[in-house]
Amino acid sequence: MKRTIALAAFAAILAVSGTAKADTLVFTSWGGTTQDAQKVAWANPFTDKTGIVIAQDGPTDYGKLKAMVEAGQVSWDVVDVEGDYAAQAGKDGLLEKLDFSVIDKSKLDPRFVTDYSVGSFYYSFVIGCNADAVKACPKTWADLFDTTKFPGKRTFYKWSAPGVIEAALLADGVPADKLYPLDLDRAFKKLDTIKSDIIWWSSGAQSQQLLASAEAPFGSLWNGRMTALAASGVKTETSWEQNITAADSLVVPKGAPNFEAAMKFIALATSAQPQADLAKATGYAPINIDSAKLMDPATAKTLPDQQTASQVNASMAYWAENRDAIGKRWYAWQAK
Amino acid sequence: MSTYIDVASETATTSKAIRPTGFGEIIPALLFVGIFFIVPVVALLLRSVLEPVVGFGNYAELLGSATYLKIFANTFIVSGLVTAISLLIGFPVAWTLAIMPSRLASLIFAVLLLSMWTNLLARTYAWMVLLQRTGLINKMLMGMGLIDQPLPLVNNLTGVTIGMTYIMLPFIILPLYGVIKKIDPTVLQAAALCGANRWQCLTRVLLPLAARGMVAGALMVFVMSLGYYVTPSLLGGTANMMLAELIAQFVQSLVNWGMGGAAALVLLVVTLSLYAVQLRLFGVQNTGGR
Repeated sequence: MKRTIALAAFAAILAVSGTAKADTLVFTSWGGTTQDAQKVAWANPFTDKTGIVIAQDGPTDYGKLKAMVEAGQVSWDVVDVEGDYAAQAGKDGLLEKLDFSVIDKSKLDPRFVTDYSVGSFYYSFVIGCNADAVKACPKTWADLFDTTKFPGKRTFYKWSAPGVIEAALLADGVPADKLYPLDLDRAFKKLDTIKSDIIWWSSGAQSQQLLASAEAPFGSLWNGRMTALAASGVKTETSWEQNITAADSLVVPKGAPNFEAAMKFIALATSAQPQADLAKATGYAPINIDSAKLMDPATAKTLPDQQTASQVNASMAYWAENRDAIGKRWYAWQAK
Repeated sequence: MSTYIDVASETATTSKAIRPTGFGEIIPALLFVGIFFIVPVVALLLRSVLEPVVGFGNYAELLGSATYLKIFANTFIVSGLVTAISLLIGFPVAWTLAIMPSRLASLIFAVLLLSMWTNLLARTYAWMVLLQRTGLINKMLMGMGLIDQPLPLVNNLTGVTIGMTYIMLPFIILPLYGVIKKIDPTVLQAAALCGANRWQCLTRVLLPLAARGMVAGALMVFVMSLGYYVTPSLLGGTANMMLAELIAQFVQSLVNWGMGGAAALVLLVVTLSLYAVQLRLFGVQNTGGR
């Protein structure tokens, strides 16, 4: 009963903010250059084809998504989220099941398809380095964790998400196929050895700034940020050795006002050409297996889907299952 | 002294004239507070005791964990430090502003307000660029040969304190200026004539007269600091995490609203208690930044 009152209160607040109109579709993503690229590669052709206008919203906020669904006042139709969150939210009943009679999943990388989500683009955590600032660049995760061979500050992703714990375990000698279930004790022990040398980045722009200014001349970055940094004229080196992949996913919040249009939009966004266009603009890989042939080989070569030789797949399923528990330990360790 | 009393009684009359006379007139205000403050707070309180299971488990976890207690302590240490330094810098500035020619003073006020109106994120990033190891300040100091290793000025307590103090200074200078401006300069002259030296003029005349403004300003800075998010997140290291960032993590990333609600409520209770203490010590009249 009390819960109902609380939810009603939330509903009242959300109602004030209004809901989307039927002839527009609200797409929510993380903002910045990635969303700009999504607008050009996906939203514009969709509007040309269907006449449905796409309103851009953002940044993605899991708390907000949950509030909308629970209050029954959903104003987002398609949302770009992290893969592990998509798996968890699907299980928690916050998402609509996707209609695969509209979305053709036969051409999509099956690693990034679930009942509730399809990949948006996929990225790798790579070892990035400002080659002008140091004598030698670290090549492996073991190098990046070796402060005698590579003294100085290094930068890592600040939040609890797939990537850093895997890197620590790989650096400590855990074979890539034995990563899961993650040995958290071992990972944090390894992270302890470089804790005072870590500068955390909390946004992609910040990771670029840290590397470019040589505040932290090397670290673990999203590969697309390295592409952008190289394009801006900084002399960079990227090591793909054991690059750790994860994907963003497209999901539809439960009760989204324009479900059918949302399916059509996701179908278009995951089709070969729009995926190729997004990849060209961002440096992230397409999740449609036909996209690679639509790109010139030089561009395609720089994308994570061509770096499979020593690629490590972060397990979205494992993270979805253990997100909260890992998060608690992560922040406790960071604050220590 | 007579001028001071005149000013005070004059302000009292003015505020009486605009005070609402009947209950009907305050209904819009009550509604506003009710809808935008009371309802969300009650909803949050409910969340904190209903999710994920009914009971006080969230509070037990919050207050029983060394990590969270450290974040609480951190929040208070940083806020206290920022308040103290803001007072130390703000008082002389407010005093100088109060005694300088008013034209020059309004110019400085314009600068103060402009900095207040500049985007918080932009100002915080600016400090990041200035303070980092490869930043302007370290480069200058090293260029002058004063240091040979860059000083760790950012991603730690130093960075948070510098950034937050800078942002908080206007909030302490403005109320202090108001109070100091109302102090009759002849009082200080009288003290000097009666044989008080400079130190006695400051500690026995000026500071007691300005005490109300100092307390009001300090409380405002302290309470605002308790809820700070962007600046500590960007300029601090992970060991300096403050409560607001923890709440954001709970709500946005871990989607654990029970814990987020509990943490937010603890913060709210602390803030309101501080305010109550101040009301008790100094009365309603003197908390309005005067």
